[in-house]
Amino acid sequence: MCGISGIISSNTITKKLLNSIQNLEYRGYDSCGMAIINSHGPVIRKNIGHVADVAEKELFLSMDGYVGIAHTRWATHGGVTPANAHPHANCDGSIAVVHNGIISNYLDLKQTLIKKRHHFISETDSEVIPHLIEEYRKGGMPLESAFSAALKELEGSFAVAMVAYEEPGRIFCAKHESPLIIGLGNNENYLGSDFNAFIEYTKDAVVMDDGEYAIISNEGYAIKRIGDGSPVLKKVMQIEWDAEMSKKGGFPHYMLKEIYEQPETVNKALAISQEAIISLARGLVDSRRAFLTGVGTTFYAAQIGQYYLASEAGLSIPAISSDEFLESTPAGEGDFVLAVSQSGETYDTLRVLREAKNRKAKTAAIVNVIGSTMARLVDTTVMQGSGPEICVISTKAALAQMVILIRTAIEAGIITGKLTPADRKAKLKQLETLPGLISDFLNEHSAFVHNLAKRQAHHHNWLYLGRGKYYPIALEAALKVKEVAYLHTEGMPAGFLKHGTIALIDEKLKCLVFVPTEKEHELYKMTMSSIEEIKARGGSVVAIHSSRAFAKSPLLDDQLLLPSAPPLVMPLVALVASQLLSYFFATTLGRNVDKPRALAKSVTVA
Amino acid sequence: MKALILAAGGGTNMAPFSVTRPKPMVHVAGRPVLYRALSTLRESGFSEVYLVTGQNGKAVTDYFGSGQSMNLSITYLQQKKTSGIGDAILTAKSRFVPGEHFLLVYSDVLTDENMAANIQQVFGLTGQPVASICLTKESAAFGNVYLDTAMNITKIVEKPGRKDLGNYVLAGMYILPYSFFGILEKNGGDMAKSLTTLIKAEGLKATIWEKGWLDIACPWDILAANKMIMDSWHSANVHESVKMRDAKIKGPVHIEEDVEIRSGAVIQGPAFIGRGSYIGNNVLIRQYSSLGAESVVGFGVELKNCVLFGRSTVGRLSFIGDSVIGEGVSIGSGTMTINRHMDESTVKVRINRRLVDSNMGKLGAFIGDGAALGSGHTIAPGSVVEAGRTVPHNLTFPKNGR
Repeated sequence: MCGISGIISSNTITKKLLNSIQNLEYRGYDSCGMAIINSHGPVIRKNIGHVADVAEKELFLSMDGYVGIAHTRWATHGGVTPANAHPHANCDGSIAVVHNGIISNYLDLKQTLIKKRHHFISETDSEVIPHLIEEYRKGGMPLESAFSAALKELEGSFAVAMVAYEEPGRIFCAKHESPLIIGLGNNENYLGSDFNAFIEYTKDAVVMDDGEYAIISNEGYAIKRIGDGSPVLKKVMQIEWDAEMSKKGGFPHYMLKEIYEQPETVNKALAISQEAIISLARGLVDSRRAFLTGVGTTFYAAQIGQYYLASEAGLSIPAISSDEFLESTPAGEGDFVLAVSQSGETYDTLRVLREAKNRKAKTAAIVNVIGSTMARLVDTTVMQGSGPEICVISTKAALAQMVILIRTAIEAGIITGKLTPADRKAKLKQLETLPGLISDFLNEHSAFVHNLAKRQAHHHNWLYLGRGKYYPIALEAALKVKEVAYLHTEGMPAGFLKHGTIALIDEKLKCLVFVPTEKEHELYKMTMSSIEEIKARGGSVVAIHSSRAFAKSPLLDDQLLLPSAPPLVMPLVALVASQLLSYFFATTLGRNVDKPRALAKSVTVA
Repeated sequence: MKALILAAGGGTNMAPFSVTRPKPMVHVAGRPVLYRALSTLRESGFSEVYLVTGQNGKAVTDYFGSGQSMNLSITYLQQKKTSGIGDAILTAKSRFVPGEHFLLVYSDVLTDENMAANIQQVFGLTGQPVASICLTKESAAFGNVYLDTAMNITKIVEKPGRKDLGNYVLAGMYILPYSFFGILEKNGGDMAKSLTTLIKAEGLKATIWEKGWLDIACPWDILAANKMIMDSWHSANVHESVKMRDAKIKGPVHIEEDVEIRSGAVIQGPAFIGRGSYIGNNVLIRQYSSLGAESVVGFGVELKNCVLFGRSTVGRLSFIGDSVIGEGVSIGSGTMTINRHMDESTVKVRINRRLVDSNMGKLGAFIGDGAALGSGHTIAPGSVVEAGRTVPHNLTFPKNGR
């Protein structure tokens, strides 16, 4: 789980290369480095820390050259040390390599190479690559053949880029199960783990597929198969994301910016063609068995899907966390697996989909990143079009996924006959009010959320409770608090409380309860009885609710009053409120909002 | 870019200090609030400053002069009558030229870091007019803004009466185009209306300020502001000329030149002691105490969370806590400020003949510039002593002092 980038140009590239790994930093940021080719060969500078700090410490900008590769690391093999940072070199320093992925057979390769007197400096799996290439070169093989021969020996996953002294006018790169994209500029070409590496410089890109390698010069590129070296022709695609979109504007953090972008991303989700939504609904209804899957936030989005599929279509379709899927759910022929993933690179979810495909199940995915592994793996893809999500904490992408799943549930309701076309129309109309509701909420209630956070941020133990659709909302809201504010927060069904956990209740444990609208009479009453249970044991209740009458209740220790909204969309309004609350918890506590400790944007390892 | 600073606000709620000085001249952590505004401007590269003053403007010109000592060129503009922000801005119209942008600063706003640097960055990025915005507990007292996804302000609701509206508020710093003067004139100097016109005509970007921010409106805000600034101090700073023996210093204490501290004194930081001050034997200075230049503190005095503007004397064996003492005040020996009610109710303060709840559980006294308090007084929570007032000794024998 790392970011790699490379630039080759007829002009000096150091500044652009630094910028490109800064734009990839959300993929991992424990250490970074650069290799620039000059007349003496590749010059490597690297260290541990965030890109800006390392760049300053290692004087990245004092390097000069027309060709370079760079890396921002997320440690998997070997600790976070300067030696383990990329790029890695061969024995004589004539070859520099950056790598994203995991070489599963690296220990065997390393043993063999050490026997052949190769000298290793780091503990990483990646370092075997330059030495392997060097070993083939020793046998007299040309560089390109040595590169592809080395690749054939690698097992596991990789996106690799290499520069070498003997061919200063080219960058070599290859891809297998880790993402790699080539960007095409004017007398200048790029490579990167994703578009953000070069989106400021070009919108023309070529997406590489597994088992391919490429040679890039400043004037062009050639893509070949690793297996036989045969050329591959690819379509050049246009990236529609605006470079400005990847920048923060006046917002202090990407997280807040992305929370504010939600009216737009919901509109994008509402604009996805009905045919695409129906194709998902058909898959769910028509198959022998159907499953929803995701992991982390996307699992909670899948759970939202489960509840709406029940209420709108009368379907029983379980959501299963993808890390536990294969062990619990033998999906096979005749089954349908619908996955949710922002990056489309999530290891656990990809593993489920690959296995499901092997067993002849049909697969589909709701994905945000164009050209991602998942988007190309599954039978049916719905692109959510939420734009790049830079903050490590998912907000806008998750909300859009939920909206798409609710639309899917409504279409499924038409297929199962639970909804009439008139119902469908009314429900969609309610869904269309969501962007306005979110925008009004953000513009009229931010100070109240901020005040609530200021009053409550010093409490370190929380239960987030909800019933029905508010249960997955409570889970997702709790995850946000854990991720960004580092407060211990457990999400739980409110009804589950009395079956054990209630023993924990005291005045120090804060209970945040998501209260349904009063229109959901039964659910509202049951939630109230949960609140009474907490209060009866001397607990402390904070409610996120929309009832003006309840606002005056002596049961409440603190609260956030939401504007009124139809029951169909209220859970999502409550979610937005809780996102903002997590954000203000984090800023009040001085947390690193966009890059929380120990987290990376896309988890591409097991 | 030139900066325009509004320092004409009388601050009618700042009794007893507003009688003798404009609001931005109240002291916080050893310096007038306006000094902090000016020094952050200098740090972020501003050198040409226009300062609008009003009533008691002399207090400002006396303190800052031409600005040379701060490496600034200050031009003073006198606002004839205190008739609102729009009119204050318009006094500067002839000093600016069409096409240029200027930084507008409300000097009664205090931040713990440099807000001017932040707003300049956003202006540099967009080239559009910008307003700093922030979140505050009292959002209903300010202009609430509506934002779109691209951080454009789409609407401003000035001091909303609605209880269900509470959003980011205008934080008292803008970068505005010259054309704004014309807009103000058309709107009769109405700032809120003019900003709305600007939004429609040219747009207004927002930049969110998430660091410390305080609008100084009431006397107890001085204590909160003092704490905010001192909380940003992380190291002690004692001038080499300080004379001190057998005294104890702990935490981030700032002590300026020519201060004398006698044996047995204990100073717990964060705290500030201004140049030329004298701290007597066995004095206890507790956290968040700020003593302006040439303060004299007698034997055995205890100070806690209090701001003394400077040149004041606190007589032996007194306790001053949660209080603000103006400049040139004389406090007799054995004076006790009481800082809480026994029923634990919040302390109310009489401001302009009206009792205002400070919402604070602990609050001492507010003693105006030049007041003289005789010995032996016990001062009730939230008391105000007017500037220049003399209060005789509180003697118990003989009762009339003879």
